[in-house]
Amino acid sequence: MAMRSFIATLTGAVSLGLLANMAWAEPKTNMLHQWNSGSDAAAIAKLGEMFTAAGGKWEQTSIAGHTANTLAKLRSDVIAGNAPPAVQLKGPEIAEWNATGMTADLDPIAHEEGWEKVVAPELLPVMKPTGTWVAAPMNIHRINWIWGSTKAMEKAGIKELPKTWAEFNADCDKAVAAHVICEAHFSQDWTDATVFEVVVYGQNIDLFRKAFVEGDTQAMRSPEMVKAFDQFRLMVSKYMDPGIAGRDYDTTTSMIAKGDAAFFIMGDWQIGIFTAAGLKQGADYVCQQAPTDWAKPGFILNSDSVVFFKQKDPDYVAGQKLLAHLILSKDFQTIFNQAKGSIPARLDIDLSGSGWNPCQQTSLKDLQASIKDGTLVRSMAHNMTVLQKYRGAMMEVITQFVNTPSMSSKDAANAMADAVEAQKS
Amino acid sequence: MVEATLRSAIEVDPAASLAARRHWLGRFGVYSFLSIFAIIYILPLFVIVANSFRPLPEIVQNGLIGFPHSLSFSAWSRAWSSYCVGGTCQGVKPNFLNSLELTVPATIISTLLGAMNGYILSKWRFRGSDFLFASIMLGVFLPGQIALMPWAFILGHIGLSNTIAGLILIHCVQGTSFTTLFCRNYYVNIPDDLIKAARIDGAGFWRIFWKIILPLSPPILIVTVIWQFTGIWNDYLLGVVFTSGRNQPITAALIGLATGNTNAKIYDVMSAGVLIGAIPPLLIYFFGGKYFVRGLTQGAIK
Amino acid sequence: MTQAIVPAAVIEAPAGPTWRERLNRALPIIVLAPSLIASLVYVFGFAIWTFYISLSNSSLLPSYDFVGFHHYAALWSNTRWKIAYTNLFLFSGLYVVLGILVGLGLAIAIDQRVRAEALWRTIFLYPLAVSFAVTGSVWKWLYSPDAGIEFFVRSLGWTDFTFRLTTDRNTAIYAVIATGIWQSSGFAMALFLAGLRSVDPDLVKAAQIDGAGRFRTYRKVILPTIAPIFIAVAVIMLQFAIKTFDLVVALTDGGPGISTQFPANYVYDLMFQRGQIAEGAAGAIMMLAALAVVLVPYSLYLVWRKRQESGHG
Repeated sequence: MAMRSFIATLTGAVSLGLLANMAWAEPKTNMLHQWNSGSDAAAIAKLGEMFTAAGGKWEQTSIAGHTANTLAKLRSDVIAGNAPPAVQLKGPEIAEWNATGMTADLDPIAHEEGWEKVVAPELLPVMKPTGTWVAAPMNIHRINWIWGSTKAMEKAGIKELPKTWAEFNADCDKAVAAHVICEAHFSQDWTDATVFEVVVYGQNIDLFRKAFVEGDTQAMRSPEMVKAFDQFRLMVSKYMDPGIAGRDYDTTTSMIAKGDAAFFIMGDWQIGIFTAAGLKQGADYVCQQAPTDWAKPGFILNSDSVVFFKQKDPDYVAGQKLLAHLILSKDFQTIFNQAKGSIPARLDIDLSGSGWNPCQQTSLKDLQASIKDGTLVRSMAHNMTVLQKYRGAMMEVITQFVNTPSMSSKDAANAMADAVEAQKS
Repeated sequence: MVEATLRSAIEVDPAASLAARRHWLGRFGVYSFLSIFAIIYILPLFVIVANSFRPLPEIVQNGLIGFPHSLSFSAWSRAWSSYCVGGTCQGVKPNFLNSLELTVPATIISTLLGAMNGYILSKWRFRGSDFLFASIMLGVFLPGQIALMPWAFILGHIGLSNTIAGLILIHCVQGTSFTTLFCRNYYVNIPDDLIKAARIDGAGFWRIFWKIILPLSPPILIVTVIWQFTGIWNDYLLGVVFTSGRNQPITAALIGLATGNTNAKIYDVMSAGVLIGAIPPLLIYFFGGKYFVRGLTQGAIK
Repeated sequence: MTQAIVPAAVIEAPAGPTWRERLNRALPIIVLAPSLIASLVYVFGFAIWTFYISLSNSSLLPSYDFVGFHHYAALWSNTRWKIAYTNLFLFSGLYVVLGILVGLGLAIAIDQRVRAEALWRTIFLYPLAVSFAVTGSVWKWLYSPDAGIEFFVRSLGWTDFTFRLTTDRNTAIYAVIATGIWQSSGFAMALFLAGLRSVDPDLVKAAQIDGAGRFRTYRKVILPTIAPIFIAVAVIMLQFAIKTFDLVVALTDGGPGISTQFPANYVYDLMFQRGQIAEGAAGAIMMLAALAVVLVPYSLYLVWRKRQESGHG
């Protein structure tokens, strides 16, 4: 399979006239990213293999730890006058860096390969903030998933995953009565924000759009937001265990595996983690769209993408073209997303094959349905909507709410609005 | 036996017995105090040493604190040469070598600069030298985060960005504050008469440095070498921001091992990696520890 | 302290300096100049640049459009910054005082002619050798209820045992303090030990002849003579405290919630994660201000001590 895909890629490159470029430039690249270890690193290594197989010289700078480290590296390189040829950047940051005038224009290759027609429409405003393509999307993650532990659900007498928040609460009461933790969780700013945005979305889609996409502080102060915080407080105080702070991600995963906890609200990279831990869909865990009160398919979208900075060296320029081509290729989108649990950014790939998990197939179906129903939104918690400074301000309040039992829902809603307003002035 | 001695002492002389008991109690107190702290201090080291030899399933099942039931060396070899971190599957070995390549020259250069500066600021004072010394010393206190962007700008302009040489330059400039502080305070205690006598004999600036100052310097040079080596070896932020591709230092690999947070924790490989990364500074402390205290005694503290 | 030895020409200068003598005279300054200039650029250049940036409208990248003190106001209206700054003072106070007590206690104990002195010393010094970023994560394991000390003690049969410093927002800061002390009290110990060794033995003997007990000897004779070391230890530990960054990242990552945020972490976050370079720079300047709180009295003390010394001699 691998060899055939390389040949396919190679012929693809030839047919696109890339070899004409290579005659005078040897494509090379150095991709800055934060997929540093484990399955993420393995997925990105595939991209490197494909790049090398297509005649390129692959180099990468992968940075461990916080996203801030990667961004510190990016800023330093830009200030030093050697912006990296390719960087993993996402959401509003693409527009911000695009506004500096330093990003490369991908329109030629995008038009040549017809990206417009195959890439999910919701991604277009992110990838082309001012109308020209500046970023190549790698995948589509879905945030609003609820994962169920079959063992724990059986213990608690829960037949199937809850579809509404009322059902969720009823199931949790059953779990608590059976001495099973209802909701597995570990408290960090982004995980607290993930669960909270799923709650807001499930209760009220308009509120989500106003508060989290447009950054409207009136909406943040509204009674609807207070109601969302009420539901969140119920979950934190009653349905999660007291050990959420200071817990690791992998410990949380094992709570589902061992059957200590019934549910887990987390994005679809969880599939990759379950698979790596040897868990089977259906037997060990089940998946479903996270609860909504409006009975339609919904989708909170997150997407990883690569941005290219203008280069003087023709070798790097050729490398950018080749890399962009590879990232959007069906082969890479397939290999990468099968490993990560997400779905391809291009919608013309068939997911019925055996390499795809049933949850991923559901994901694609729900994505298409949500586009039709107008329920598709981008994720705030995963940095796809508002600027980092607003997102950071909101996440601070959300995680503070989780860890401060005495903080009321109304105070939290007002604090969030205040924090965002402080950033606006 | 101690008891017997005590009892016979009691029979002989009450005052002496009281003193003996006091002495014995005092000894006991000193050793228990030290032991309690030693247990706490050694606990993390014990945990990583033990876990580097315990098979992963055993750790997961029995928790992180425990003696190895069976010895396994595989974590060490995986951590050294085959575990996937930083985008490649060569273990921490390449990073370890990068760190050596960076730390050794940076330590030597900054130590020599510090010795030279300390010599001048203590023995060849000029108007304003105390003020300059105080200014250099302020560098000790500058928080590292604020230096990132200015450094990037400077390295970019002198063409050293993303090179080991650039990183060495940064560590030398930042480290000179420390080494100058240590050396100057040490040299101040060398009697000025010694220098005067040498000058009357016709010794110049360099000769005095080589023949008088340097031979007296080992204790303080050991202090600065220890300080600089461990500081540079353990730096993460600068090492990651100012290198590219495969030039990252050991700490980058260790953070990668420690924070690959979505994956199941590989406690065994991580422990072995941490130990490998800690070996050079630990060796320096083990062998230099005695001189460290001695060097400090002889006047680094002022 | 004797005054500067003014260059060589004094000794043999009959007919006005030749170029060679001039060179000799300037040599120390020439040798000093490169590293001096580099240090000055590093200390003052960087600090002034940061201050200017804090007054600019820099966001994604540094820019030089002046906007005034707006970013300081924004910073101080932020809850997280206030928590971080409060934590800095709480942390610094406890860390320095307890660190000095532990370091002094260990130094005095080791100074009682204990056996295997080198071994004890090495045990207490080794935490300094290993990166905070790494030891922080080992301590994180130990504090973790799922696998660390709590798990261990419970597995010994004491099933009600709880040890959860890092999971409660009210106690997590103490876990950070304790770990910080674990890391650096060895350094305090080394300095105190060095000090104790430098005390004139005759002084101690004299005190003992006067009938002072061991405790009294320490309190009245030994500790006062090593007073400068207290100051040195305090200053060094304070600069560690203000720079605290790696430890928090590895141990609690600022959590639970935002309870263990520190200024350095927030500044880094603002500058690099959020693209608010100006506000981050304002935070960095506030950190320098916190340093000044320490350094100004310290330098006044140094000046005072110098006056005292020259007054006596």
